[in-house]
Amino acid sequence: MDAVIIIFITGLIGLFVGMLKKSELTLAVTSIGLIGAFISMFYINESQSFFSSYAGLTFSRTQQMFALLAIGLTLLSVLLGYVFYKEEEEHTADYYGLILFSLTGTLCLIGFSNMFMFFLGLEILSIPIYVLVGIQKGNSLASEASVKYFFTGSFATAIMLFGIALIYGSTGSFELNEIRMAVDMGMSHSPMLIIGVLMMMAAFMFKVGAVPFHFWGPDVYQGSSNAVMAYMASVVKLAALFAFVHLFNFTFNALTPFVSGLVLFAIIVSLFLGYLSALKQTSFRRMMAYSSIANTGFALFAVLNQQFGEASLWIFMIGYASSTVALITINMIVEKETDELTNWKGIGYSNPLIGITLVISLLSMSGIPPFTGFFGKYLLLSSAFANYLPFVILAIIASLIGAYLYLRLMVLALAREGEGQKIKMTPIQAVVLIISVVGTIGGWLVLMIK
Amino acid sequence: MELIFLPLIFGIIAFFLPSKWVRPYGLIASIVVLLFSIDHLIKFDPENYVLMLNPAEVFPLGLTFKMGYDGLALVMVLLTNAVISIILLANWNRAISSNARFTGLVLLMQCALIGLFTSLDGILFYTFWELTLIPIFLILYWFGKQENNRALFKFFLYTLLGSLMMLLSFIGLAYFSPNFSYFQLVQANFDGKSVEAALIMGGILFAFAVKIPLFPFHTWQAPTYTNAPMAGTMLLSALMLKMALFGMIKWMIPIGFEGLVYLKWPVITLGGIGIVYGAIIAMKQKDLKTLFAYASISHLGLIAAGIMLFTFSAIEASMVQIINHSIVAVALFLCAGIIEDRLQTRNIDYLGGIAKVAPRFGFWFAVMTFISVSVPFTAGFIGEFILIKELFTAHWVIGITAASTLVFGAVYMLRAYQASMFGPTNVTVFADLTWNEYAVFGILTLAAVGFGLYPQLIIDFIKPSIKFTQELMAGDLTFTK
Repeated sequence: MDAVIIIFITGLIGLFVGMLKKSELTLAVTSIGLIGAFISMFYINESQSFFSSYAGLTFSRTQQMFALLAIGLTLLSVLLGYVFYKEEEEHTADYYGLILFSLTGTLCLIGFSNMFMFFLGLEILSIPIYVLVGIQKGNSLASEASVKYFFTGSFATAIMLFGIALIYGSTGSFELNEIRMAVDMGMSHSPMLIIGVLMMMAAFMFKVGAVPFHFWGPDVYQGSSNAVMAYMASVVKLAALFAFVHLFNFTFNALTPFVSGLVLFAIIVSLFLGYLSALKQTSFRRMMAYSSIANTGFALFAVLNQQFGEASLWIFMIGYASSTVALITINMIVEKETDELTNWKGIGYSNPLIGITLVISLLSMSGIPPFTGFFGKYLLLSSAFANYLPFVILAIIASLIGAYLYLRLMVLALAREGEGQKIKMTPIQAVVLIISVVGTIGGWLVLMIK
Repeated sequence: MELIFLPLIFGIIAFFLPSKWVRPYGLIASIVVLLFSIDHLIKFDPENYVLMLNPAEVFPLGLTFKMGYDGLALVMVLLTNAVISIILLANWNRAISSNARFTGLVLLMQCALIGLFTSLDGILFYTFWELTLIPIFLILYWFGKQENNRALFKFFLYTLLGSLMMLLSFIGLAYFSPNFSYFQLVQANFDGKSVEAALIMGGILFAFAVKIPLFPFHTWQAPTYTNAPMAGTMLLSALMLKMALFGMIKWMIPIGFEGLVYLKWPVITLGGIGIVYGAIIAMKQKDLKTLFAYASISHLGLIAAGIMLFTFSAIEASMVQIINHSIVAVALFLCAGIIEDRLQTRNIDYLGGIAKVAPRFGFWFAVMTFISVSVPFTAGFIGEFILIKELFTAHWVIGITAASTLVFGAVYMLRAYQASMFGPTNVTVFADLTWNEYAVFGILTLAAVGFGLYPQLIIDFIKPSIKFTQELMAGDLTFTK
């Protein structure tokens, strides 16, 4: 429970330590803080309230699992950031501080149980990200991405706030339990509530990057540094999807028949548009952005799954996030002036660690067992099988397109011409690769423990 | 369990060996695995299931992690181990066999195949089914002809589409069965909903039909075979196709038995079309590998049609024929490989007169040709004879269609042999066989004649398994282990 405080304080300390301009020291402080937060999150009592008189922030078992995953993934992004910001030491502390503040927001967004805490979390999560995207000041792409993300993002936030206000107006409460009771008791016909829910859904679609609110994705991914991109693709997506699923499965449970059509539309369009656009990309970052749009499509199946939605989402996200982090790390290693996919030619053949990581990550993303990506997709699709069979079949066809996309990258990276090519890799990058591969291979075993 | 872990460990070690050790290492490793499986064979009692892994509890998702084998699976495991050893032996004098990656991938492939044959859990079966795809894909990509990635993508995506359909079927099956244990799946209760059963069976069938390949799903096969290295073609045709046939006997038909009425005749018809179509195309081919690929469609159409009858003797004959086809596939692709190796071409227009230059190769190629056209006293004769008889009993039209394979087979095989070995002398230099090639041909001939004279060797193992499966399906047997 103290994890939120630990992370926030570590962020502050990190800012001051950064003044010494020693990035190793900043990294050490930040990592220790994150590991401490991980441990304290691991041992929390279930449903223990954060403040004695205020129950807005509690962690159930599932929420605890999501929080642990978010902290772990942040640690990976922080390690990646060290490699990147080592060269410009004056910005290292900015990066660490902002990412930890953003993580604070993430934890609020995961542990919320009323709309107030939800909105606080969302804002604390988003604002540091706007800055992080534009942190490379000299880079015009970064500035463009930052401005674009800020304007569209704050517009989405405003819509979200408007939605919350309308829901408050029609149900009379910020508490999720009370809203749920009001919705269940048949107030679902109130137009005000429906409009509010729709507005929230639109804003959520923006935050998770689902079609038709996905346009910011490719530009923002292209402008940001690899470490920030890893953080956005894993932690931000995880938190936003969790909040989406939590609100729509728990609070607006009674409205599922009403929203399911829209969600299904978003799923199918995201899947096809994401994968088909990704096929046409020559830049790795844009490809990853479109592939993440498609994967969001898969993850949205969790919204329709009342019973195991959150658990399925967790398994899916650990598979998706760890493979994405691995791929972004590899991109960081091979990236030259540009992030063209041609940089990838033969890297897997000349360096066995990269080769194995790449093959496993891409196979997991294509949904091939026994990797975690398969189990995530399996859980999501099998729960939708009974009610939404045609959409499941469409999703499977889309995942075949996805498999082609990942296979093409795999073939490119494993080309034999790459033999003898020299690849420089720092030990930290190797550690990140190994941790993400372990997550990709073994993440689904968590299912067996529960 | 050592059956699965040994090749896995051997395979991983192989990647780290210096290249001069790799060649003997690979062969010895595969022979060690073969010896272990023979040990299992000696201890085996056909009347019983041997469970290698049998956790009592059911894990989330309905996973049970059961692994084990009956006679049917054990025969396939032995076949796998023997064929892998033979493939490594056949490649002994080629540069590919000194490549650590190649040997490692072959051993990993062996691990995945044994896992597939011994898994007794739907999700495990699916997992191993997909896992076999990865090593073969890398073998084809790294050691095949580089210029043709298109064929490779087609192969991978086509099979993956099949696998996804199978996955869909397994997801659907979860609604009819409490968990994914094989023993539960076989007893899956469809309550007379034979259409649902047929749909579920159809999804699984799609995966198998692509891999066998049945007639309209065969388009990936010929380009993949021609671009693959010799070892890759052997692995594909001698082992990977057998996964599908094994899956039909052990998984598809017992699980969706209520739906068999809908699928029986369509598949038999497709098989019948495949028999004639494959044979006719094979007659016109100039490339030896393409020719053998289409011949394989013809042979496997017959086996698939036979399996769909699901009678005792049809399945016994199919198993004999499965083993025979593995022998034939390794033999013929080795012949094609030898010719390509010595002459850099497989086009029979440029061949001719090899038998004069290399009489020993001419002799062994003739022996292999006779085995593949199923002359009496070879395993193919027994298998095809019983299969045709069974199909004839089912319906005379399909019986006659199936019988045409004997004539057609003789036509295209003898044409290929005649055009490459005799005729105008186009070939003046042709190094004769090396010791390892003699050894491979010798072992294959011995096996073909041995099973031809005494097919009971195979049938004795399979009979109790089929009886057991049928009792299990009827619910006469409560198998709670």
